[in-house]
Amino acid sequence: MEETISITDIFKTLKKRWKLIMLLTLIAALISGTISYFLLTPVYQSSTQILVNQKQSENQLDSTQIRSNIDMINTYSVIIKSPAILEKVIDKLELDQSVEQISEKITINSQENSQVFSLTVQDSNPSQAVEIANTISETFQKEIKDIMNVDNVSVLAKAEIKENPTPVKPNPVLNIAIAVVVGLMAGIGLAFLLEYMDNTIKDEDDIERLLELPILGSIQKITQVHNKG
Amino acid sequence: MRSKDKKQVNLIAQTNPKSPITEQYRLIRTNIQFSSVDKDIQTIVVTSSEPNDGKSTTAANLAIVLAQEEKKVLLVDADLRKPSVHYAFSLSNIEGLTSVLTKKMSIEKALMKTNVPHLEILTSGPIPPNPSELLNSKAIEIAIDELKEMYDYIIFDTPPVLVVPDSQIVANKCDGVIMVVASGKTNKQSAVKAKELLVKANTSLLGVVLNGVETDNSNYYYYQS
Repeated sequence: MEETISITDIFKTLKKRWKLIMLLTLIAALISGTISYFLLTPVYQSSTQILVNQKQSENQLDSTQIRSNIDMINTYSVIIKSPAILEKVIDKLELDQSVEQISEKITINSQENSQVFSLTVQDSNPSQAVEIANTISETFQKEIKDIMNVDNVSVLAKAEIKENPTPVKPNPVLNIAIAVVVGLMAGIGLAFLLEYMDNTIKDEDDIERLLELPILGSIQKITQVHNKG
Repeated sequence: MRSKDKKQVNLIAQTNPKSPITEQYRLIRTNIQFSSVDKDIQTIVVTSSEPNDGKSTTAANLAIVLAQEEKKVLLVDADLRKPSVHYAFSLSNIEGLTSVLTKKMSIEKALMKTNVPHLEILTSGPIPPNPSELLNSKAIEIAIDELKEMYDYIIFDTPPVLVVPDSQIVANKCDGVIMVVASGKTNKQSAVKAKELLVKANTSLLGVVLNGVETDNSNYYYYQS
């Protein structure tokens, strides 16, 4: 059966099932909010900045030197995540976590063409995040001399404990916003699906199309109590 | 929502003659009267494809608006399986159509007056074991002919088409059939099937009454309630 869908039909469908759409949206938002606020453990992050710079003998900056320093950063980021560094950090802080677990918490971000890179540690405990970040940068600074026979790493900014650390994950507002969008889409989709699956006669057009019989009249729903005139 | 176990019939044409709904029944009345030019429509069957589409309500209110024209009207409950007319008009159903068809009493005795002027009722009577046979008997044809002499209009409330063959049998003996369709409830396929069955039974389909349409007040702006 050929069905044409007009804009008015779409609006009619949405209007008819707006309660369902709202309900789904609300439920999705509630679930997302509940999970974000009560179930997921908040994750805090803390960063240190590390400068890679050859101590120059002459007081002039050699651009190839700088270039090679920048290229070093990629190598360094691998080294930082390597057991050579992390095992020492674990020993020092007496953490009961494996090297893999620690390395998952670490992100190295380097700016394009910059000799500075930042080391970010995420942990469910804000003070532990700070400790790990600082210990890694210190250990790395010490160890790199042995590993690569260079002394070109200095810590620019230490990680610090904030007064009221705010977790970076989860972001409840974002999660709820996503859930609202998803719920809205699901609701609208379901509304159209129900409309499509509903194969009952609705109005006079249906009767004329299907039965090709004259319509003698249409009786409204007898719901409202009419005042006796 | 209405309860499924006890059929409710709202006699709005009687209780509220000024309501737009009653006006719709009057429109149906007019359309029926104009639907056939060459032959007089005197006996009308009201049926639908499935149960609970609003047959009894339509039949009863149509009978009332016809009676309001000061025509002599008889409403016959030909639903011998689940009769409901006597509930709507608060009548007893100890005697009725089946008593007449089984020759237990004369037709004049079975007819009942109502509080609607010009409207009389023939209830279904005791529920018989063989409704279809009774409705397909010579006795009912004789009864209909007899009633045609006494009334201007005879309305038959019948069972759903797709459930039992009763309505086809009765409709075949009458001048016209009205099919009731419940908006948002009657399935498209079953409506088409019901129409086919009624056509096959060689009945004259007058048209469709669409029931339970969502209220749209735009058509009724001149009613001040």
